[in-house]
Amino acid sequence: GSKHATTPADNYYLARRRTLQVVVSSLLTEAGFESAEKAAVETLTEMLQSYISEIGRSAKSYCEHTARTQPTLSDIVVTLVEMGFNVETLPAYAKRSQRMVITAPPVTNQPVTPKALTAGQNKPHPPHIPGHFPEFPDPHTYIKTPTYREPVSDYQVLREKAASQRRDVERALTRFMAKTGETQSLFKDDVSTFPLIAARPFTVPYLTALLPSELEMQQMEETDSSEQDDQTDTENLPLHMSTDDSGPEKENASVLQQNSSLAGSRNGEENMIDNPYLRPVKKPKIRRKK
Amino acid sequence: RMNRKKGDKGFESPRPYKFTTHQVVCINNINFQRKSVVGYVELTIFPTVANLNRIKLNSKQCRIYRVRVNDLEAAFIYNDPTLEVCHHESKQRNLNYFSNAYAAAVSAVDPDAGNGELCIKVPSELWKHVDELKVLKVHINFSLDQPKGGLHFVVPNMEGSMAERGAHVFSCGYQNSTRFWFPCVDSYSELCTWKLEYTVDAAMVAVSNGDLVETVYTHDMRKKTFHYMLTIPTAASNISLAIGPFEILVDPYMHEVTHFCLPQLLPLLKHTTSYLHEVFEFYEEILTCRYPYSCFKTVFIDEAYVEVAAYASMSIFSTNLLHSAMIIDETPLTRRCLAQALAQQFFGCFISRMSWSDEWVLKGISGYIYGLWMKKTFGVNEYRHWIKQELDQIVAYELKTGGVLLHPIFGGGKEKDNPASHLHFSIKHPHTLSWEYYTMFQCKAHLVMRLIENRISMEFMLQVFNKLLSLASTASSQKFQSHMWSQMLVSTSGFLKSISNVSGKDIQPLIKQWVDQSGVVKFYGSFAFNRKRNVLELEIKQDYTSPGTQKYVGPLKVTVQELDGSFNHTLQIEENSLKHDIPCHSKSRRNKKKKIPLMNGEEVDMDLSAMDADSPLLWIRIDPDMSVLRKVEFEQSDFMWQYQLRYERDVVAQEEAILALEKFPTPASRLALTDILEQEQCFYRVRMLACFCLAKIANSMVSTWTGPPAMKSLFTRMFCCKTCPNIVKTNNFMNFQSYFLQKTMPVAMALLRDVHNLCPKEVLMFILDLIKYNDNRKNKFSDNYYRAELIDALANSVTPAVSVNNEVRTLDNLNPDVRLILEEITRFLNMEKLLPSYRHTITVSCLKAIRVLQKNGHVPSDPSLFKSYAEYGHFVDVRIAALEAVVDYTK
Repeated sequence: GSKHATTPADNYYLARRRTLQVVVSSLLTEAGFESAEKAAVETLTEMLQSYISEIGRSAKSYCEHTARTQPTLSDIVVTLVEMGFNVETLPAYAKRSQRMVITAPPVTNQPVTPKALTAGQNKPHPPHIPGHFPEFPDPHTYIKTPTYREPVSDYQVLREKAASQRRDVERALTRFMAKTGETQSLFKDDVSTFPLIAARPFTVPYLTALLPSELEMQQMEETDSSEQDDQTDTENLPLHMSTDDSGPEKENASVLQQNSSLAGSRNGEENMIDNPYLRPVKKPKIRRKK
Repeated sequence: RMNRKKGDKGFESPRPYKFTTHQVVCINNINFQRKSVVGYVELTIFPTVANLNRIKLNSKQCRIYRVRVNDLEAAFIYNDPTLEVCHHESKQRNLNYFSNAYAAAVSAVDPDAGNGELCIKVPSELWKHVDELKVLKVHINFSLDQPKGGLHFVVPNMEGSMAERGAHVFSCGYQNSTRFWFPCVDSYSELCTWKLEYTVDAAMVAVSNGDLVETVYTHDMRKKTFHYMLTIPTAASNISLAIGPFEILVDPYMHEVTHFCLPQLLPLLKHTTSYLHEVFEFYEEILTCRYPYSCFKTVFIDEAYVEVAAYASMSIFSTNLLHSAMIIDETPLTRRCLAQALAQQFFGCFISRMSWSDEWVLKGISGYIYGLWMKKTFGVNEYRHWIKQELDQIVAYELKTGGVLLHPIFGGGKEKDNPASHLHFSIKHPHTLSWEYYTMFQCKAHLVMRLIENRISMEFMLQVFNKLLSLASTASSQKFQSHMWSQMLVSTSGFLKSISNVSGKDIQPLIKQWVDQSGVVKFYGSFAFNRKRNVLELEIKQDYTSPGTQKYVGPLKVTVQELDGSFNHTLQIEENSLKHDIPCHSKSRRNKKKKIPLMNGEEVDMDLSAMDADSPLLWIRIDPDMSVLRKVEFEQSDFMWQYQLRYERDVVAQEEAILALEKFPTPASRLALTDILEQEQCFYRVRMLACFCLAKIANSMVSTWTGPPAMKSLFTRMFCCKTCPNIVKTNNFMNFQSYFLQKTMPVAMALLRDVHNLCPKEVLMFILDLIKYNDNRKNKFSDNYYRAELIDALANSVTPAVSVNNEVRTLDNLNPDVRLILEEITRFLNMEKLLPSYRHTITVSCLKAIRVLQKNGHVPSDPSLFKSYAEYGHFVDVRIAALEAVVDYTK
């Protein structure tokens, strides 16, 4: 046993915990148990507590999601459904005959949160914020404190920083890879100054060589949103390279998909592409007997 | 029954029999694990003479199980003399002996001489049948195990089914090599129609020639059979096959065109082929002829034998031509390959050749129309640049080896009759040629077509092609008649006749000069201006005694740019006249301040202070239209080259001027080159060439050079930030001309040397900064080629190590600059393992740079790194770079 003096807050929680234990025990009795090990009761209590806490947490989220501060019945119902509970069984369960009545937990006072250090006067709500919204926090948590050093915004410094950051990352990463794997060296007497990650053959070498890396794909998507388009007119360039998917291409891709999914049916639409490679494979003919 | 009249205009086959309606090829089993193929062929043969008792066919490396003629078992002999060219007992071990023996072996199985490896005896029961000239059906069962050529299996070594692994197989080879994968008459002149059947795993697709009629499951539903019909008479050599788990893309613009690629590459395939319909439109329009086949297929496969291979109604490409929209440099190259392949569909596949000596016509025409496509697509500048490049190549090759003969005529096979005795191989057969010779042969063929165009006009040229195509097209739709089908074969004489009919012009001298004999022309030109007579005295000498040269007699165009304008003169080059007097138009240069009219009608202001006060000549050009296959060495003063560079609008003239200016390292040359470099209207390739010339000139002028290193301030102005000139802008490659210049300038700058013959520290630091500040995050395009060229620039900056007593290279005595370079190379090469670049361009550049460091004595010369990169399983470009480095050790 601990010898620490109990605080009002502890008492508050213990009382509720004890009620839960009683609930668990009565349910066990109801289920026909005559006795239970303490550890088992403890575990079940823990589970019940988590379950109730989760209902509370989730119901709070639902209610806040719809911009309310008080949960309503529907929040609870949605929560229970979400947690996989069949709500319709609840009224019947509540009215079952063999249920036991448990005395209410002793009245203990809600623990008082110790007064935090306050500094300055809290700002009243401006007129457009309803009164039931929480109060403003202490001013020191949001009031701007000017510093004397200007943040870095100089282009040259930024570029410098980006360059050296990238270089450091690349260096560290490749060195780490080299340290943890096989390496090759240009100098017989030294393997650590310029460690080269060993060349390893691929099973399908063309894939890595031809497909854009994920980084590049991401970059392509980002720049595709015409960040640079205003700088030069693409159409005047000597090589007519278009990067955007042209309409017919997309159309075709969908036809392709459509066709492969409908491989069995022959009654295609009128504008379906007739290409022998898209036609369904025929069933073998039944062999004629000689 | 054939009723062939004597004296028929048609093509005479050397064989006493002829194919008809169908040849059937059926491959019913393909085993990827064992790399084997089992199948049969059935040839329908028409005897053309009585007492035919032997049938000779081509077949290599196939195991023949059984031959039946009209359902009767037939005896056969299989003998491939090329397997053992020189017999073991031979004592003569020299190239000449081998070459003769090899040519004899190839001749012995040459289908165009009625020979073949496989000799089938017609069963005696059928002799009477044959004497009545009735049809014979020859059925041959064969198999193929681990083929060494003709059919290539790609089977990645990993887990999973063959389809999951991306295993595939395709036909390939040089010239007529179909006999490697099924018995046939392997000749471009033997046409027949085809039925092709392939039974493959249900997860795979078999792509072959002609129309896919149907696809049928086998009874166990685990395989399917692809049935193809090719009704256009086609030579066996133009039959092809590709089988693999291909992704299928129907061309969105042309539904009869289908594209195939290996798994996962579909997005690249979409982008790469999205342009093809424009090429179709172009060729159909200029040839005023529809694409001859009812469908077209492109297949992109790994480990391709050649980048582009054209067959009847399909082309097989290297998968490495595929690219995404982010890739700049590969795009024009790939489009060129597509255009080449399509040109060969018309001339090469649909229209085939009568004999090997007519090959030049097909290669010439397909190369020529491909050139027209280039001109339309990339512009006249690119076209002329390409023609000049091809001309320089063929000239260099012929001068080195002694000549390329387009239309060889062979005598009795005696040594003295050999039309190419200067070569170490026989040119009698495509298979005895060197690869390089054949490449140059194709190059010369299209250049000669261009010469014919110069002579008869492009309009007539296209009319001739149209005539050939429409004759062939009429013939192709006919039922079998040998003289009709031979309209689908082109011959030198038929082609020339057609030219003469269409144009009414005699091009015999041109043909005699460039087609019937080998060699190029070597001109030396110089001039003097005779002030009294106001005449330009031009002297043109020829060297026609060196190997690979020939004497030129005939017209030669000379263009003279004078103060009053540009004037063309046609000189007659004759046997003994070296000097030519050309009267000048401009009297003097007194009326200054006048604009100078150029050849294209433009009038420009020029600073004339540099020129000779007594002469009205600005510059002179010999054969400006490249109407002769020649090399010109012309002497004119430096200021004339400078004027030519600045004001002549022809890119070939500009490039010639740049090359000539290398010999004149003066401030004026420097200024002319810098001005060109800055001119945005100037063709980007000229500007790129100017970079390298400027570097050379700067090195020659090193002791008097003033200002920052050449090109540095220009690069800074064009590509660096305005506020902090030491930092390059974040990459934006939307303007391709600037992009190519941005890539090239650092490479050229790295060639600069100071008085100690070292790369200036300032330049090295500049390149290192470019690498450091390179930022591609906002770019629409990949920067892999740019970064690769920055590594090339680092390699270019390397100079030989100062070595004391041949000390061993260790880290301790490493030059500090080299340490910086190595730091970059190490990081780049390692990053490639984590974020590989397109086609691993960066790895390639790193390997090259490491070899440069080794060769210059900074890093110990050890080939083991390159050996590991040369292994199978690395991307082909990387392997080639590594192999080149390994080979470099022998130099």
